[in-house]
Amino acid sequence: MKKKSTLSWIMTFTGRKKGYYIASVLIAIVGVAMSFIPYLIIIKLVNGLLNQTQTWEMCVQSVIAMGIFWTLRVVLHSISTTFSHVATFHLLSEIRVMLCEKLSKIPLGAVLDDHSGSYKNIIVERVDAMEKTLAHIIPEVTANLLLPLVMYIYVIALDWRMGLSILISVVIGGVFFCLMMVGSGEGYANCIAKTKHLNDTAVEYINGIEVIKAFGKSGTSYEKFVVAAKEGADCFIEWMRRCIWFQSSSLCIMPATYLGVLPVGLWLMLEGSLTKEVFVTCIILSSSLVNPMIVAMSYLDDAFKIGTIFGEATEILEREDMVRPDTVTKTPENFDIVCKDVTFTYKDEEVLHGINLTIPAGKVVAMVGPSGSGKSTIARLIDSLWDVNGGSITLGGVNIKDLPLNYYMSQIAYVAQHNYLFDLTVMENIRLGKPDATDEEVMEAAKKTGCHDFIMSLEHGYETMAGGAGGHLSGGERQRICIARAMLKNAPVVILDEATAYTDPENEAIIQSSVAKLVQGKTLIVIAHRLSTIVDADAIVVINDGRVEATGTHTELLSKCDLYRNMWEAHISVKDEAVEQMDDKEVCHA
Amino acid sequence: MLKMVQKFFLFCNEKNRKKFYWSIFLGVLDAMFAAMRIPAAYITIDAITRDQVTKETMMMALGIMLLATLGRTVINRFSQMIQTEAGYDTTAQKRIEIGEHLRYLPMGYFNSNSLGHITSVATNTMEQMGDIAVRAIMMILQGIIMTSVIEVGLLCFNWRIGCIGLVGIVIFFFLNQWTVRSVAGVAREKIEADRELVGVILEYIQGISEIRNYNMVSLQNSRINQSIHRKEKADIKAEVAAIPAVGIQNFSVKITEVVIVGCALHQYFTGNLSLSYAITMMLCSFMLFESLEVAGTFNALLKVIGQGVDLANEILETEQMDIDGEEITPKNHDIHLDHVSFAYENRKIIDDITLDIKENTTTAIVGPSGGGKTTLTSLISRFWDVDEGCVTLGGRDVREYSFDSLMSQFSFVFQNVYLFEDTIMNNIRFGKPEATLEEVMEAAKKASCHDFIMSLPNKYDTMIGEGGATLSGGEKQRIAIARAIMKDAPIIILDEATASVDPENEKEITQAIENLTKEKTLIMIAHRLKTVRHADQIVVVDQGKIVQKGNHESLMKEDGIYKNFVQGRNQAVTWKI
Repeated sequence: MKKKSTLSWIMTFTGRKKGYYIASVLIAIVGVAMSFIPYLIIIKLVNGLLNQTQTWEMCVQSVIAMGIFWTLRVVLHSISTTFSHVATFHLLSEIRVMLCEKLSKIPLGAVLDDHSGSYKNIIVERVDAMEKTLAHIIPEVTANLLLPLVMYIYVIALDWRMGLSILISVVIGGVFFCLMMVGSGEGYANCIAKTKHLNDTAVEYINGIEVIKAFGKSGTSYEKFVVAAKEGADCFIEWMRRCIWFQSSSLCIMPATYLGVLPVGLWLMLEGSLTKEVFVTCIILSSSLVNPMIVAMSYLDDAFKIGTIFGEATEILEREDMVRPDTVTKTPENFDIVCKDVTFTYKDEEVLHGINLTIPAGKVVAMVGPSGSGKSTIARLIDSLWDVNGGSITLGGVNIKDLPLNYYMSQIAYVAQHNYLFDLTVMENIRLGKPDATDEEVMEAAKKTGCHDFIMSLEHGYETMAGGAGGHLSGGERQRICIARAMLKNAPVVILDEATAYTDPENEAIIQSSVAKLVQGKTLIVIAHRLSTIVDADAIVVINDGRVEATGTHTELLSKCDLYRNMWEAHISVKDEAVEQMDDKEVCHA
Repeated sequence: MLKMVQKFFLFCNEKNRKKFYWSIFLGVLDAMFAAMRIPAAYITIDAITRDQVTKETMMMALGIMLLATLGRTVINRFSQMIQTEAGYDTTAQKRIEIGEHLRYLPMGYFNSNSLGHITSVATNTMEQMGDIAVRAIMMILQGIIMTSVIEVGLLCFNWRIGCIGLVGIVIFFFLNQWTVRSVAGVAREKIEADRELVGVILEYIQGISEIRNYNMVSLQNSRINQSIHRKEKADIKAEVAAIPAVGIQNFSVKITEVVIVGCALHQYFTGNLSLSYAITMMLCSFMLFESLEVAGTFNALLKVIGQGVDLANEILETEQMDIDGEEITPKNHDIHLDHVSFAYENRKIIDDITLDIKENTTTAIVGPSGGGKTTLTSLISRFWDVDEGCVTLGGRDVREYSFDSLMSQFSFVFQNVYLFEDTIMNNIRFGKPEATLEEVMEAAKKASCHDFIMSLPNKYDTMIGEGGATLSGGEKQRIAIARAIMKDAPIIILDEATASVDPENEKEITQAIENLTKEKTLIMIAHRLKTVRHADQIVVVDQGKIVQKGNHESLMKEDGIYKNFVQGRNQAVTWKI
């Protein structure tokens, strides 16, 4: 997809509700006309008074007319705002839907690595922040900029010299404004730097508070923080102090339009080249010129921030989809998985450099290697969470890119350290593995994975809500429910990220025996950290630095692969040992 | 409107509040100078209507306007400066207050959630406050003052028109209040919809790999779409509810203006008012509300300020712990728990525990998850205060110690290994800044991190964090252990599960921990059979009580949690796929 500019994204977004926005603008413009007419009426009225041609009856009519036009203007403005809001909120919904759909189609690496909740922030808060720009700027800026403009043009048309006289204060104020801006770059940069320093210090102080307190350093670290907080405030005050005269001058002179209008008008009248009607008109209009512009400016301020507000959302929308066909055209012959010359680049760095790997159907293949060697990346590629950059991964001879995602996913179960439970009942969470499963089937799977008993002991049994809010389930219990779900799915290929060690040591044995039931007779790919668990695997693949270093059985590798031997020795030296039993109760090995 | 302004003033400290009051006083003067354009306009119009325009009139109008503008500029300069000082100082003071407050919070309160929240308040929220709060509050006050000054002028000059203006102003504030309330009426629905959307979106993102793996995309999308559309409806409802109210508010302003114009005309035709005065009154009618209308556009920002104030106050209201005890050096390191109970959020977690831990012994705590093991260690090191009973160290209640002197007796090995953005050297000697490079290297060697540190480009001077070295979890953990070795505290508290969470570096970390705990009083939540077997004392905790106590041999002789635990572990460590 081509990169689009922020503006063209706004056009794309607003284009979907074009009618509403156009209506909003048109109504806002009519509203402006309605608010200009009362000024014309009052000008006519005052002129009549000056000529002594005005009667009380005419005045009453004029005043009533003014009231009517003001009312119309208020009504129109309300309608315009309603239109733009309805359109905007509808649009925000569409942007959110687009973002969510996008997330289901793109490679997931970045999404999975995001722990700070920034995607949630984008979809919820950032999109909300667009509301102000889209809903307010259009009617408010139209109304508040157009009205002074119309007034000014009217004055110019009456007498260009008076038009210029209005500008006198604006120009002088503008000069001070420029003077203020000239020296501000440095002050601004200083403030940004100090603010960053303050934020860094705050982050470090707060996040490190446990360590700080444990080491009895709360005094010194706190003082550092205090200094940073004071500096963070002082820099702004200092910056303000340096340009305060310019700022106050521009702020006070700019709206003082009478400064030019009154003397110039009087002078021209003395000269006799200005009628009193025109002069009074100018006095009336010039007093109402500046305030709407201040309001418009306060909205335009937000308009300048538009780029950052839209940027994060559009960045996601511009990511490339994973391309998959919709229907099955080639059916895999079996469940062999083959990685051929697979390369993969993550964050501009090639992390896999030509992986060749065969996982025969029905066999157990273990991947071992130092941390950061690329084991988990290979597993994620096989799980189709990412796409390979080079080479191919095939299932039963068919490139997995040529299989519909739905189809391929139904062939694979992925059990990792942190599996997610949805905010549904325990029953429904397990049933996700097989949507048409009966309650009996669900319970059967739960029994097999050793979670039936604890589920029954929950207050509402299988009807207990399992999600974040209702989560009184321990880590081990959640994990067992996930294994039951995978069990019910009954996929022929299982990927096991066996980082289960120590997540819930009290229940480790039970989790292990449920895993054992899950993987029976399946093609199994396991990432093993504790080497003793995989000594019986059909093949062990040693991954190092994004390459396959050696492949073989445990005994073969011990003799031919130094890395494996070292890892094994390190593992054995710290491995926990079983203790002799005090009575002869049977210990079952899963 | 005014309520929020008041809330903000209460948020400021005495000194800054005074500054704000000063700036309000200056604001009144400012408004008076600004109102001088009315007499300037009157003089001009009067001259025009009487056809007596002279050079003097011109000089007079110019003079008044120059004086008005000059006066405003000078006053504005001072009031702006005071506001800026008070505003930024308020945010700085609040940040400092939060920082100060953290020192007195129980250690048990801290977790990644609470710290993340506090960080965001101390940085983002306060930054916004410094930025927005002052500007919005002052624009609003300035609007109100400006309108009041003109109104007072009107009342003095022509009480009839003044009264109309007064009625208009009262109605304006009344309607403003009504607007706020009519929005608040639908706000609950909006908050509900917001919360629901956040919930489903979080679920979608956190569960996205499951959603793909279980082909739930269309199911999940339809759930999300429902929430998205519910939010859309709630948003529209909330916004549309406010539109008529805002409209009526604007309408009341315009009608007041029109009535003033009518009244001025009436008085002119009845001969109570000269023509020039009548025209000036009409001009005043436009000016009366214009500042108030500008102020109205800042209304939305007030909500942001209100939220910021609430967020900061919420943190500052978290209960503190009294940490200013005596500087005590305990005569020995025996620990004694005497009938200790502790409840958190109304749930009893530790229930009447009595326990002795002798100096230089190893105590292993085992038991089912959620049984109270971690809380028990937290009470020993006073991360929380006990509700009943007491914990003593060397015969003195831990609450008698100053927190710093108590902490100097403990080292902790946690999963959360926070390292500072500083050199590795300074991180290791954090607890003992005067330590030499040799001492630091000695500690690093014991913690098995000397070798990898020497392989870094700047060795011990390598910066950690942004722009420095990126370390693996296991490497960070070993540096943290080196830091603890450097501190050399007599009592070590350790959770085996979190201590060896990185299986890749298990050997090095195990080695490092062994060096750290040598000849110390060691209290650990244990999972490894190797360690429990050699512990001097094993304490089995379940449902907040000690259910078994003894050594490995004695406990294996009785049926109970410990024996089951050993069996389970035996099974786990010999497991194969």
